[in-house]
Amino acid sequence: MHPATPPTAGAPAGRDHRTPLSRRRFVRGLAVVALAAPLALGAAGCGDDDAAGDGGPVKLSVFWWGGEARAKLTEDALALYTKKHPDVTFEKTWQANQGYFDKLATLTAGGNPPDLFQIDDNYLAEYAGRSTTLDLGSYRDSGKLDVSKFPKSLLEYGVVDGKLAGVAAGENTQGLVYNKTLLTRNGLPEPTTGMSWEEHIAWAEQVAKKTKVPGTQDPSADYKALWVWLRQQGKDLYQGKELGFTVEDVTTWFELWKGARDRGATPKPDVIHEGNSSDVTKQLVVTGKAATSWVWVNQMPDLKKNTKDELGVVAYPGDPSAQWARASMYWSVFKGSKHRDTAVDVINFLNNDPEAVALLGTDRGLPSNMDLRAKVSETVTDPAMKQSIQVESELAQKFGPSPQVPIKGHSKVKSELTKAAENAQYGRATPAQAAEQFVTACKAAIA
Amino acid sequence: MALTTAPGRSPRTGPVGPRPTRRGAGRARLGEGLAGYVFLSPWLIGLMGVTAIPMLLSLWLSFTDYDILTPLSEVRWVGLANYERMFTADPSYWHAVRVTLTFALVAVPLKLAAALGVALLLNRTWRGVGLFRGLFYLPSLLGGSVALAIVWVNMFNRDGAFNSFLALFGVEGLPWVADPDWALQTLMVLAIWQFGAPMVIFLAGLKQVPVELYEAASVDGAGTWRKFRAVTLPMLSPVIFFNLVLETIHGFQGFTAAFVLSNGTGGPVDSTLMYTLKLYISGFTDLEMGYASAMAWVFLLAIALITAVFFSTGRFWVHYSDGGDDS
Repeated sequence: MHPATPPTAGAPAGRDHRTPLSRRRFVRGLAVVALAAPLALGAAGCGDDDAAGDGGPVKLSVFWWGGEARAKLTEDALALYTKKHPDVTFEKTWQANQGYFDKLATLTAGGNPPDLFQIDDNYLAEYAGRSTTLDLGSYRDSGKLDVSKFPKSLLEYGVVDGKLAGVAAGENTQGLVYNKTLLTRNGLPEPTTGMSWEEHIAWAEQVAKKTKVPGTQDPSADYKALWVWLRQQGKDLYQGKELGFTVEDVTTWFELWKGARDRGATPKPDVIHEGNSSDVTKQLVVTGKAATSWVWVNQMPDLKKNTKDELGVVAYPGDPSAQWARASMYWSVFKGSKHRDTAVDVINFLNNDPEAVALLGTDRGLPSNMDLRAKVSETVTDPAMKQSIQVESELAQKFGPSPQVPIKGHSKVKSELTKAAENAQYGRATPAQAAEQFVTACKAAIA
Repeated sequence: MALTTAPGRSPRTGPVGPRPTRRGAGRARLGEGLAGYVFLSPWLIGLMGVTAIPMLLSLWLSFTDYDILTPLSEVRWVGLANYERMFTADPSYWHAVRVTLTFALVAVPLKLAAALGVALLLNRTWRGVGLFRGLFYLPSLLGGSVALAIVWVNMFNRDGAFNSFLALFGVEGLPWVADPDWALQTLMVLAIWQFGAPMVIFLAGLKQVPVELYEAASVDGAGTWRKFRAVTLPMLSPVIFFNLVLETIHGFQGFTAAFVLSNGTGGPVDSTLMYTLKLYISGFTDLEMGYASAMAWVFLLAIALITAVFFSTGRFWVHYSDGGDDS
């Protein structure tokens, strides 16, 4: 009868009915309203999802990172889906890459994760390993998710612990982007795919001497460069749940780049530090502070927007078969989503619908569907995009098998690499000390 | 709960018999009390929901392996493991403690000194003093804003305004924010520059010092320095104490500028890895929220301890002029 009676209302309750309109009763009523209203509103807020099962009208929440250009393309593609499926509308949220995963984790913790979200290999295992992502295997097997036109290795790069945790939204691979204008103006040769690491450093030194612009960013803090290099040594970043390399490997890697710094082939440590940012606009090849930057091939068009100079792109030094068809990013579905079937259908649409794929272009990398990739390649007009497609298609002939998706703890491994490499760059540690420090920290991170 | 406490707490309405007048008075009092709670309820709900409950939850989480992504119902109790790891197995934790202490020990005294110095200058009456008070207060208004931190980074990088200024004198500057030996100092300068808030409080304190004391001191032949030492400082000591406590707590909690300067990494080479930043990275980047919660609780206790030390030493140097002992 009085479940919401505040504890401060002290007198026996039974006597109240004698004074029906007393001030006390009025105040008590007010208190109940004040306390109950937010609860009721909260409950209403929680409840509004229940009505919409798959079949009825569905509002699907989608979350991705990227710039305005990507937002525009994605919104257009999703609008096209709504046009074809009027029952399905989207609640779209997007933001810059920095802070994206903080937000995604927070949304998940708050019990309010997006139905469909973009994720990359740095975090896929973290999410899949904690059963946050839906296993898309059954949809693949039933054909509701059509991956028949995907390169096999690209599809496999979305598998974590035997479960299909993410579907590649596009394909990319490591790319060494260089300032073509600078080289031509100074009569210097362009780098080529297949150059050895020593040759690359010697070339960079030559560039530095002639142009006064350091020839290459020092990528010793860059996990993707280390990764390619390790694979060329017959090692890997991870093997099962262990590290795929030793302290000696990393020492050799750090020494290689200490040599390059000593020869003046790279910029000063603080400039290297600037270039270590993941921000496209800070890459040294576009800020003019180095002749080459270590990026992903599909970032070419974005880089080009930030410089007047002509850019070129080749594979990282060494044997290009150490590179692989990497999913530049994936679409994943939240395991607890009420609209999983719809979400999977949207992934299928974004990857396999000719119109949608044409709209999206190569913004997230080369289209995963090979038939549509060929079509998009033919119709692309942006010269930088054209160039990146051409280079990646050539490299695709030489790709080796995909490594396993980075394991839980990878984000820490990445930041520890940066710390150790910068320690060596600023001269605060020898390559051997930095390598030791890095491997110790990695072991703790993935334990 | 109301039913169990009610009979004991209101014996007047017991079986002795009806006492209408007193009961009515009691009712009115209760009604007023209740009304108080009603008007308090928005704040109370806010306090419980936004502060108290999450705080208690984080205390519990600090003994678990909570990783954000796993539902709360599935977290594992790990006892003191997080605390053990913090104190014995995580060198970067102690590094963060060192960075934070260095920051607070340098920035807080200098900030207070700057605030007091400028307050003394502005405590005179000359034309335009109001304008200057406003100008010096302005940086504080910007507070821990992201925009300000971005401006700061751009001012102190290799091609920044500060180095252009140095170049006028033929001095070649350093890449301050990108140099592990200088990045933290850059943050200290930013913190010190925002001395406006303590300055305004100092100004208010200075206005309270009775002019007679200065006059009496002058008559006794005291010079400016002597007057400052013997009159201003003691009279101002409660305000100094207040500012010291507040700014120390504030200094320990520095986050925004370090986050912006290092893109959220604490770099270069962990040189700006403030405690709160380390906590944030553990919780949100490394997805170790249980560990981050443990860190937060140690931090809370450390700040409480430091504040307690201030309060216990305060009686040796803080003089309250309205205390009973002055005749």
